[in-house]
Amino acid sequence: MRFDPAPTATAPQVLRFQISKLEKALLLATVQIFPVLDPSYHRLTKDPKNAVPAEQCLLEEAMARQTAEHKARLTEFLRADAPVFQEAGDELYLNLSGEQLEWLLQVLNDIRVGSWVQLGSPDTDTVRRGGLTPEEARAVAAMDMSAYFQSGLLEAFK
Amino acid sequence: MPETTTPITVPDEEQDEQTRSKEDLDRGYLVICWNDPVNLMDYVSHVFQVVFGWARAKAEKHMLEVHNAGKSLLVRETFEKAEHYVHQLHGYGLQATMEREE
Repeated sequence: MRFDPAPTATAPQVLRFQISKLEKALLLATVQIFPVLDPSYHRLTKDPKNAVPAEQCLLEEAMARQTAEHKARLTEFLRADAPVFQEAGDELYLNLSGEQLEWLLQVLNDIRVGSWVQLGSPDTDTVRRGGLTPEEARAVAAMDMSAYFQSGLLEAFK
Repeated sequence: MPETTTPITVPDEEQDEQTRSKEDLDRGYLVICWNDPVNLMDYVSHVFQVVFGWARAKAEKHMLEVHNAGKSLLVRETFEKAEHYVHQLHGYGLQATMEREE
C-alpha cells in the first residue's frame, strides 16, 4: 500500500492510497475480526485510591458505544463494492476522507492492541513465532497486519 | 518497556496562588499517557496531534517521553476536560489516565 499524494481534481480532500488486490483482501480480512479489545481494558486512573467506580463505568460505556458505532460503519466498508475502493485501469485505490482515515486507524489499532492483550501483553520484540496454537497464530497475524496497514495510512501525514 | 516509578512533576507556575483564576485552581487533574510496547510510535504522535491539536514537533516530543521515560504528562486540566481527553485517548487505544495533582 502506498500513499498517493497527488490530489484528484474532483475531490482534493480525499486521501488516496494505491493498494494491490492482495492487500485489499488482507485489509478486509483483518478488519473483519473487529472488535477485539474488551472495554474493561481501559482504566481511568492508575491510582486505586483515586478510582471512582462510576467514572470508570462511564469510560467503559463510552468505549462500548464507540465500538458499536465503529462496527456499524464496518459493515459498509466490508461490502465488496464499497465506494472507498476504486479501480482505475490496472490500478486499485483506497480513497478515504480524513474522518474515514481516523476511523480506520482506530479500528486497526483496536485489533492490534486487542490481539496483543490476547497474547498476554508480551514485549512485541519477544512475541513467539513458532509453536503457536491456532488462536495465537491468528492474534500474531492480526497484530502484524494491522500494524502494516496503520503504517501505510500514517504515510499520509508525513 | 517497564513502567517507571518517577514521581509526577509539573512545570513551575509563575503565577502567584492568589492571582490565579478559579479555573486555574480547578485545573488539578493531570492527563498522563503511559508507555506500552504495542502502539506504534508514529501512531501515538498522530493521536496527540489530533486530540490536542498540537504541532508535530510537540506531539513527537511527548511521544518520545512516553517511549523513553515510561510516561508523559500531557496536560493539566479541570476534571471534566481531563476526563474528556482521557476518553478520547482511550478511543484511540492509548493507555491514558487522569490523576489528581498532589
